[in-house]
Amino acid sequence: MVNRRTWLTSIPVMAVMIAAAAYFLLPVLWVLFSATKSPGDLFGTFGLWFSDSPQLFENLGRLFTQDDNAYGGWLVNSLVYAGVGALFATLMATGAGYAMAKYEFKGREALFSIVLGGVLVPATVIALPLYFLLNGVSLTGTYWSVLLPGMVSPFGVYLARIYAKDSVPDEVIEAARIDGAGDLRIFYTMATRMMTPAIVTIFLFQFVAIWNNYLLPLVMLNDSKTFPVTLGLTLWNSQTQRDPMFYTLVVTGAAVSAILLIIVMVSLQRFWKAGLTAGATKG
Amino acid sequence: MTSITRSTARRKPLKQRLTLTVLLVPFVLFFAAFFVLPIGYAIVDSLFTVRSSGLGFGAPEKVFVFFENYARALATPSFVESIGRVLLFAVIEVPLMVVFSLVLALLLESGKAHFPRVFRVIYFMPYGVPGVIASLLWGFLYVPSTSPVLQILSNFGLDFTPLGGDSVLFAIANIALWGFAGYNMLIIVASLKSVPGELYEAARIDGAGEFAIIRHIKLPLLRPTVVLVTVFTIIGTLQLFVEPLVLKPLTTAINSDFTPNLAAYNQAFAQSNPNLAAAMAVIVALIAFVFSFGFLKLVNRKGNRAW
Amino acid sequence: MSQPPATRRRVFAAAALTLAVIAPLAACAPGGEASDGPVELTFQTWVPNIDKAVDAFNEEHDDIHVTVEAIAAGPDGGYAKMLSAVAAGNPADVAHVGYDELATFLLNDALTDITEYAADDADKFTDWQWKTGVFNDKVYGIPQASGPVGQFYRKDVLDSLGLSAPATWDEYYEAAKVIHASDPNKYIAAFAANQAPWLMALAQQAGQPWFEAGDDSWSVAIDNPDTLRMAEFWQKLLDEDLVKVEADMSNEWYTDIKSGNVASWMSGSWAAAIISGNAPETSGLWAAAEMPQWVAGEHVSASWGGGASNVVLKGSKHPKEATEFALWMNGTPASASTLTSIGAGWPALEDKSEITALTDDPETFEFFGGQNIWDTFAVADDNVDRSWQWPPLVDTLYATLTDNVKAAVENKTPLTGAFEKTQDDMVKAMEDKGIAVAE
Repeated sequence: MVNRRTWLTSIPVMAVMIAAAAYFLLPVLWVLFSATKSPGDLFGTFGLWFSDSPQLFENLGRLFTQDDNAYGGWLVNSLVYAGVGALFATLMATGAGYAMAKYEFKGREALFSIVLGGVLVPATVIALPLYFLLNGVSLTGTYWSVLLPGMVSPFGVYLARIYAKDSVPDEVIEAARIDGAGDLRIFYTMATRMMTPAIVTIFLFQFVAIWNNYLLPLVMLNDSKTFPVTLGLTLWNSQTQRDPMFYTLVVTGAAVSAILLIIVMVSLQRFWKAGLTAGATKG
Repeated sequence: MTSITRSTARRKPLKQRLTLTVLLVPFVLFFAAFFVLPIGYAIVDSLFTVRSSGLGFGAPEKVFVFFENYARALATPSFVESIGRVLLFAVIEVPLMVVFSLVLALLLESGKAHFPRVFRVIYFMPYGVPGVIASLLWGFLYVPSTSPVLQILSNFGLDFTPLGGDSVLFAIANIALWGFAGYNMLIIVASLKSVPGELYEAARIDGAGEFAIIRHIKLPLLRPTVVLVTVFTIIGTLQLFVEPLVLKPLTTAINSDFTPNLAAYNQAFAQSNPNLAAAMAVIVALIAFVFSFGFLKLVNRKGNRAW
Repeated sequence: MSQPPATRRRVFAAAALTLAVIAPLAACAPGGEASDGPVELTFQTWVPNIDKAVDAFNEEHDDIHVTVEAIAAGPDGGYAKMLSAVAAGNPADVAHVGYDELATFLLNDALTDITEYAADDADKFTDWQWKTGVFNDKVYGIPQASGPVGQFYRKDVLDSLGLSAPATWDEYYEAAKVIHASDPNKYIAAFAANQAPWLMALAQQAGQPWFEAGDDSWSVAIDNPDTLRMAEFWQKLLDEDLVKVEADMSNEWYTDIKSGNVASWMSGSWAAAIISGNAPETSGLWAAAEMPQWVAGEHVSASWGGGASNVVLKGSKHPKEATEFALWMNGTPASASTLTSIGAGWPALEDKSEITALTDDPETFEFFGGQNIWDTFAVADDNVDRSWQWPPLVDTLYATLTDNVKAAVENKTPLTGAFEKTQDDMVKAMEDKGIAVAE
């Protein structure tokens, strides 16, 4: 791809790109090195290299056993909240987006505008009243209080609609109808296949949104057994004031959770670009 | 786009109506329950207040006060300052984010980059790190006792305090930039890839240089993408919450009303004023609407196609 | 536009994975409580290692079982959690609430009146501490421990400069000058603008209290002359760069107390456990003394946020058992001794003779160079101003106080102005809530 002539012009390009890479890697490298350190070394040694007495396995052991193996539970919780929430969000958003693209009904554009407006509403506006509402039906403090709100993705509907408009030709639907296929079957067997890139993107987008969410679980949950990783780590971080051992736990825990999600993100990277093109260029 | 439904709807109205219901209703119900209802609740809640009497040792009562909470919020200097602060923050963050992710994307797709896939992964990676954890990590990198960067700088006699009053907004902007630049870059890369390669070839044959291609072909094609990225960044900056919340204990420059969202959270949870908090939250939402729609209107106005 | 089959298979694999994960979730969904078996209580606290005391309780009791729920420290969001859970009707049974916060909880109608279960045990506890939990002759809290304030200092640092622990604030100022002159990186103390209880302890020791409940209204005097005198004193130290502006108990600060760059800490008695736990390598280098005095020869002291009590939150289904637990944990000598050793504070138990942690605590004494620091804090605890009252809306007070002091330090405006502004802010906040404030 790069021939000899372009070698010269690629030097400034590479210089900028390497500098940018160093910037993005800095906190990650820091946390990886720090995860191997004792609390004393965390504050006493250079942050971008190992200390003389690395104790990664001791830290990891403590990370997973502290507070009755809380950390492993938090990882599982995060996975459940993000995985299940994103799954249902994707199902509903795909159906709704497809319906808005392919069916004409009264109030369609109004509904779409309201859903689009939902993308713009700050999370804090939702989280607080939602707490009192869910409390009215005794759901606060339960898994459901974080799971159910995660199942709504207005952005997913937006993506699904523009993608369906573009990638599911009316003629195909019409032909299938003439062949006697029911509308629901057309959706589940044909439309979803054509919309797969958008569907995967909606799922990934919602997965990361839920995984990264902090305010909602912060507001909803009391019992640390139901916490996702983000909330659990900040709970430990708030205990560093009294007990420095928690610094090591926070740092090691942050390293492990960051690595896990980075692996997921990187391995699924190619799906992102496919669906994102739709959202970006056809909006 | 013409729709197929009109002709078929006459033929099988019931069956199609049923399909429409099955596809649409679950989302609409959830959207109503978890988006519309809470907003309605917040608006209603913002019209009430909880009053005690005497020494305040008895149970309080709830009273209807119309827009008093809004008046109180807007009469609270620290809240008004926090709005000004996020607007200033948006002025710093939005151009920084858009330009940085645009440059990264153009470099990656310039054809002069070695290992573009490796770099793309590295840039995108921080998106997978939750904002709370990113803030915790940068928090360590912002204080001299744990920050290798500050230690190196101080060896050269440069004492830089990222969490000082003058620089704290940049410190926060940096965390957001770190987390989202790669994601925005990926959106732009995706839309660059959808441009047919022949377009560039034709331009090159016509003797256009690399910058001319960027200026006259790539940027105009990227316009809608960049608009989208900008709107998302605007919404994100106005909602600033997690980063100052995490950094607050580390510095004197962040108070409990640092951003409107933080102020609302503080009122709702630390100071048990959920009604005032609701009013503040509604104000934040209104500002977000005004700015994102305002921006969209501005760029979509006829004759305003600068590039 | 159709996808390669591999993609679809992967999508299904992802779906299958999430289902596999949700299955155990469904299995552990909250079930009905067993009708017999012990009464289950939850206890929300942020005191590290308090499960030692709770485990001891569980071992001795077959009919009650207590589970600890670790939460963020009260001012960092713990209280907010408790209050919203009470408002939501699903609170923990027992909660750790500071003396400073009790009136605020009462204002929010978050406490259960436990007079009928607890009144008989009143004389087990130090009178003034018991009374912090009593409002309108009703008992709302069982006192656990108070936080008498003293100075913890690096004896090695002071000794090397020929200094002893400053006995008056004048001596404190002089010592600060000597320490900073010896090394520009060294300071006598951190100025912890983030720490409302610290600022308030300084104000409390200076003299006039901030709040007083009259018959039907509060009088508020945050900007009283004694407090302003204290503010001017610290202004002088700040102006001459003799104290380091730094949040206490932050990682920066921990680094500084280890290196001796911050040579002392004015804090509650429980701080002994924090210092020895965080800076074990400085064992033997520390000592403790009373607070410096405004008038030489006096012993005026102060408390850090008053102290802490255990309350039964409103909405608990087992107030009787919850009270029994709180009384046992704080009112039996063995348990009080456990609490003292983990750093819960100065025990509220009246008869301290059986609290072995106060007399026989070789590890702590060794850390403080052989000094029995508890003797120092016994004197301090006896000299805390008992007329100091905690107002409702204490969280607003803490937030505005630290915001204003932070702003003064950041913008280099007078510290006295920060207290004057806090006075205005606080009066306004109370009036906004409908609480009567006397002019």
